[in-house]
Amino acid sequence: MSDMTLKGATVTAAEAASRSAVLKRLRLTDTIFHGLTRVAALAVLVLLSGVIIALVIGAAPALGTFGFSFLFDESWNPVTEKFGALAPIYGTLVTSAIAMLIAVPVGLMIAFFLTELCPMVLRRPIGIAIELLAGIPSIIYGIWGLFVFAPFLQQYVQPFLIDAFGSIPVLSTLFQGPPYGIGMLTAGLILAIMVLPFVTSISRDVFDAVPPVLKEAAYGVGCTTWEVFRYVVLPFTRVGVIGGFMLGLGRALGETMAVTFVIGNAHHVSASLFAPGTTISASIANEFTEAVGDIYTSSLVALGLILFFITFIVLAIARYMLMRLQQRVG
Amino acid sequence: MTNTTIATASSPLYSGRRRRNAIAKTLAWIATAFGLGWLILILGVLLYQGIGGLSLSVFTEMTPPPGAAGGLLNAIVGSLIITVLAVLIGTPIGILAGTYLAEYGRHDKLSSVVRFINDILLSAPSIVIGLFVYEIMVAPMGHFSGWAGAVALAVIVIPVVVRTTEDMLTLVPDTLREAAASIGLPRALMIMRIAYRAARAGIVTGILLAVARISGETAPLLFTALNNQFFSVNMSQPMPSLPVVIFQFALSPYEEWQKLAWTGALLITITVLALSVIARSLTASRKSS
Amino acid sequence: MTMTSTEGSNHGPSVAVPVATHASLDISKLKDKISIRNLEFFYGDSRALKSISLSLYANKATAFIGPSGCGKSTLLRVLNRMYDLYPGQRATGDVIFDGDNLLRPDQDINLLRARIGMVFQKPTPFPMTIYENVAFGVRLYENLPRAELDGRVEQALRRAALWDEVKDKLATNGQSLSGGQQQRLCIARTVAVKPEVILFDEPCSALDPISTAKIEELIDELKQDYTIVIVTHNMQQAARVSDFTAFMYLGELIEFGATATLFTTPKDKRTQAYITGRFG
Repeated sequence: MSDMTLKGATVTAAEAASRSAVLKRLRLTDTIFHGLTRVAALAVLVLLSGVIIALVIGAAPALGTFGFSFLFDESWNPVTEKFGALAPIYGTLVTSAIAMLIAVPVGLMIAFFLTELCPMVLRRPIGIAIELLAGIPSIIYGIWGLFVFAPFLQQYVQPFLIDAFGSIPVLSTLFQGPPYGIGMLTAGLILAIMVLPFVTSISRDVFDAVPPVLKEAAYGVGCTTWEVFRYVVLPFTRVGVIGGFMLGLGRALGETMAVTFVIGNAHHVSASLFAPGTTISASIANEFTEAVGDIYTSSLVALGLILFFITFIVLAIARYMLMRLQQRVG
Repeated sequence: MTNTTIATASSPLYSGRRRRNAIAKTLAWIATAFGLGWLILILGVLLYQGIGGLSLSVFTEMTPPPGAAGGLLNAIVGSLIITVLAVLIGTPIGILAGTYLAEYGRHDKLSSVVRFINDILLSAPSIVIGLFVYEIMVAPMGHFSGWAGAVALAVIVIPVVVRTTEDMLTLVPDTLREAAASIGLPRALMIMRIAYRAARAGIVTGILLAVARISGETAPLLFTALNNQFFSVNMSQPMPSLPVVIFQFALSPYEEWQKLAWTGALLITITVLALSVIARSLTASRKSS
Repeated sequence: MTMTSTEGSNHGPSVAVPVATHASLDISKLKDKISIRNLEFFYGDSRALKSISLSLYANKATAFIGPSGCGKSTLLRVLNRMYDLYPGQRATGDVIFDGDNLLRPDQDINLLRARIGMVFQKPTPFPMTIYENVAFGVRLYENLPRAELDGRVEQALRRAALWDEVKDKLATNGQSLSGGQQQRLCIARTVAVKPEVILFDEPCSALDPISTAKIEELIDELKQDYTIVIVTHNMQQAARVSDFTAFMYLGELIEFGATATLFTTPKDKRTQAYITGRFG
């Protein structure tokens, strides 16, 4: 082996000179590449500022015409060119609220099931199934809602609700009117089904981050599975779970296609959940290409700006909370 | 009483706790069945409604006029073109930006801002992205176009790729970076030749997930690429796409159109699920090796 | 026989002067490959190395020993400026490498690292074939014809005592080798770039005893051509492979001398306590 040593084990002066030349070239590559990645990173910032600037410019004519009353006006009349965002904002908030009311408890319980109760062999397949559900494009939920879910609600669920709550104050207001099938309630329920896998998979990830010793310690003093979850896992992960909900809420607020099919697209603020309504995104999707006149188009862009503003705040809170959990675990 | 044990199986407190535990467990089972039930229900209906219309003509004929039979050829081709272009535009930017976050600027101020903004873009409502591209491309150019659709989808691709690229590069151990540096490798070469190679499976997964995400996106295409009844490969003109055709046909009163909408929905779902499964298996095989 | 360095005038009063007890280690005939003078090192605000001064002699193996956290790895990583990869880490003082201060800010770090190779604690094969792992560094600097490159790869692999085990599977992935083989592959990769100094950062801590013996044997052979610096927490290993040993404790150089002397007649109580296993 010793006769096979690397001949001239170290570099000669000539070799050293050529190395310097090579490295000079490589350093240029490095500078260029570094610059390129930096430009790309800045492009992400430019993109977001671009979105904001474009929306503000697009919305300016409408906001200039209607001012702050745009936010509180229910009228939406293309003929008289009088527009207000109240109905879409109301619809967006109500449908998202319905969705979160259902998706949060159910999602939490599924995550509880997946992390604490589920037999090991089923844990992965069910987890994957939930994630696949999250990946199904929203237009699929929309078309399913229109053709399958809405007729089902119209025939069976809504008449039942009207009968059951018709004589109870408050609830009778919520569930009044003819059962169209489409409307705020249907849209909210579809959104719930859409958001459910999000809430579930984020909650599960967050619960999985709880150090096992913490749970073992709780089991060690004789806690039941539910008590471990309720008094150890949930408090420990509270920030992250809320972050996950906010992420789901952001999703529900901005969701377009699933809602557009079943909301009915009516610019009315109605107390009844059965009444057709509209959301910000559904209004834009339904009307934008058909909008004639600058004010009409601009009003729709203004709706988009409002939506972006709301989701930005919700998402920023979500990211902040998830970040805080990460710091706590890591 | 000399018995010092406070917990006995028969104490009312303990039986109450046990009951609550049993109720919670039952509710968890029901919730899971409920959640999975929707998946089965949605996929079941989709298969039932979609397979009926699935025939060769779907792939060979153009979208029909109202009331006539036809296929989805122009929509499928349009979707493919727009998707491929969106990936071609979005992926390089996304990979480069993700590289900056993970390699050059891991700890600097710019990175933490970009990271935050990117997370916002990642979950920004896609319809807003559509409006943005309408304002910067469609309105100035005066007409809808395939290009505008591709750019809108690229804006959705970028944050997904940035995120996965950064995550995957961060998983590459620092020792590998040091080893590369120890033979005198400048940073750019270390990244291109070593780090990218080590993170390849993960980065490809990110791109596949981005494709899965945009192949069903409808909202950003509605007023960028618009739609087109005819076969078109002209990117400067309105271009048909599968999701927009589904939207239009499903809301129509014509039975033939509704049938095609279901078939299109099935095609998209199969594509998206296949992409997610492939993406998942790529990272899974990497983990086990 | 007690010796002081002929370059005594360059050394500050705090310089540890090695004491050699047998003729083969006549320090007056040894050449400084690297001279460390008053080196201080900081992680942010905390000082990890305190005024270190010592000489690394050409074609000798020097071991850095000491309990964990004593700064021995930090010192090693100053020598090829690996710390430059991380923000907030900095070094002051002088580290003279062949007459050139390698701490100077305009130092060409990549070129420096090609001259001062490094082998790490955990094997770090690149995600490519065995052949590519070795050829990679060579290609970086030299445009060799295929046959010549093949020769260089073979030589390097032989030098690392790995050739016989891998000659039939050069095209397989480097990460498919065993831990000990991976470590020798990393040595081959380092040697192929023709360095002058090779730094070993606890190269055997992740290996089994047989692989460890092979690496130690290899280090002994590599001394003929290279200056070797090795960080180890294993005192037997330091005694076996090194000519000189530096004992460090809490960021300070406590004692530096010929390995045989330091292990048999340590001058400092702390050195004695450490090598007799009373702490660390």
